[in-house]
Amino acid sequence: MVAVTKLDLAAATEAVIEKLEPLGGVMREFQGMVSVTVPKANIVEAVTTAKDGGFEMISDVFGIDYLTYPGHQGKRFTVVYNMRNPDGNGRIFLRVDIDDGETMPTITHLFRAAMFMERETYDMFGIVFEGHPDLRRLLLPEDFDGHPHRKDFPLGETPTLFNEGRFLDPAAFRAGLIGADPGLTGWKGGAAKGATSEQEFGQGAGMHGKESGKP
Amino acid sequence: MSTKDLGHAATVVREERHGDFETKYMRINVGPQHPSTHGVLRLVVDLDGEQIVGIKPQIGYLHTGFEKTMENRTYQQCVTYSNRMDYLHGFSHDLAYVLPVESLLGAKVPERAQRIRVALNELNRIASHLVFVGTGLLDMGALTPFFYTMREREQLLDIFELVTGVRMNFGYFRVGGLYRDVPEEFDGAVRAFLESFPRMIDQYERLFAKNDIFVNRTKNVGVISRETALDYGLTGPSLRASGVPLDFRKAAPYSGYEDYDFDVPTYTAGDALSRLLIRVDEMRESLKIIRQAVDRMEPGPIRDPDRRISLPPRSELENSMEAVIFHFKLVTEGFHPPRGEAYVATESARGELGYYIVSDGGSMPYRVKIRVPSLINLQSLEPAALGGLFADMVVNIASLDPIMGDVDK
Repeated sequence: MVAVTKLDLAAATEAVIEKLEPLGGVMREFQGMVSVTVPKANIVEAVTTAKDGGFEMISDVFGIDYLTYPGHQGKRFTVVYNMRNPDGNGRIFLRVDIDDGETMPTITHLFRAAMFMERETYDMFGIVFEGHPDLRRLLLPEDFDGHPHRKDFPLGETPTLFNEGRFLDPAAFRAGLIGADPGLTGWKGGAAKGATSEQEFGQGAGMHGKESGKP
Repeated sequence: MSTKDLGHAATVVREERHGDFETKYMRINVGPQHPSTHGVLRLVVDLDGEQIVGIKPQIGYLHTGFEKTMENRTYQQCVTYSNRMDYLHGFSHDLAYVLPVESLLGAKVPERAQRIRVALNELNRIASHLVFVGTGLLDMGALTPFFYTMREREQLLDIFELVTGVRMNFGYFRVGGLYRDVPEEFDGAVRAFLESFPRMIDQYERLFAKNDIFVNRTKNVGVISRETALDYGLTGPSLRASGVPLDFRKAAPYSGYEDYDFDVPTYTAGDALSRLLIRVDEMRESLKIIRQAVDRMEPGPIRDPDRRISLPPRSELENSMEAVIFHFKLVTEGFHPPRGEAYVATESARGELGYYIVSDGGSMPYRVKIRVPSLINLQSLEPAALGGLFADMVVNIASLDPIMGDVDK
């Protein structure tokens, strides 16, 4: 019983890979994981091919930023489509390499499940999916500035940036809470004194504007 | 579309006239801190009277950036972070994290460690389902089951405390094995639980599964058809309640799940009642697995003996220079998996959970992408709730069992 399923699966995988080859698909296998890199122009067709070929469900869509990968040559981002068959024992990864600023076609018309996945990829990498019905940030605030999963996004205790030059400075925020001198950060320490009005308080807890403290 | 603000509570988004009747579509905000949303889930709901005509989840309130953090920690340190996402089924995340790293490294996990992992994972699955049943019924106004399920969960948390030292956020699994062996009392504690728990499940079933009020409240509520479930990427018990028998423990076995004899309960109705009952059935199946795991547990090593992966035993450090060198290397920089990418799909209490790990040959993962089940499952709230009553939305959220830490990562 199990052996039959496995044979069918291998045949199905083979068939899908064969059909992807005319689309410019390059197959590689690593520890049993089958990945096929396809050109961007053919990705919707490739996903459709995989879907028709038995890999009817999409598990995930996500990005990888190869900016600091040692020895990496070629385009900066890779978008990976993690697809599987409904039995759950077969899996194929479709990959598309794109440069910074390039957009991707959406696959939400093929899988409703991709709605959140594409939104998350946009949120974390800034990759725009053209034709997505509702492409907003998913996990981060709408007015967040930047895309944190890019490898050049700063790590550590750096101010969190928002649109229009506003930022949240963690050191100033903490200093304000304990009533300490915030140094040159511009925090007035309002929260420790129990100030509530916006005049006394400034623009929220630790939130600063570029010029006047207001966006 | 005209928008009229009605204070903080609601906004009129559309007005229509049908003859003498005037229809107003109202947009209301639910959460983010609403007792029935299981964490900080905010929903923007459009209502036509009591009927839901639009529902949009707004998430990210618990976003912690675990993926990015893990890219800046060594492989062994990442175990601290993985279990903090799904705080009710923490062992599932620990397991899902160590499996792809072990496959990259080619680590050989000893059989005893595999058995302990499976036993703890299944005990944790029961604990998670207990919270689901308790809080789910609490949302519907049934107060009593919550106390019953919490009583049994307490017993389980005591076992976890015995083994790991903590009751949540375990961080007990290691790449290549376990942090330490289970104490002697573990076997007895688990067997006592196996002894007492089947009676408790019967008690729950008497309490609600055959209770007319409960059945009427949940039957045919929030129906998700098989096709819709597959289209929206639903996985886990909620998918199996819609008639798809997909369970990665059976479909693509990992950690030795192929050795255990258990069934995959499946319902076909796809309504809230099936989604609740299937979890009760799964607890029985988990009990079977735990019993087999503890019965077959033989004494033996609990870590890969490869010194490049696992820390040497404390006793060796006192008389072996080589052991000290390996210890120093592992503690300061950790091991270096070869370049490559790995993904292992596992079955958490909520669905397909997998870590896609990209290694650049360094001591820290280059990229960690976590395929969390709750986030993708939450999309199914829309087809489940649309067209239904507002009061049923709470039942739908409860029956889909999203954990907001798991949703927001």
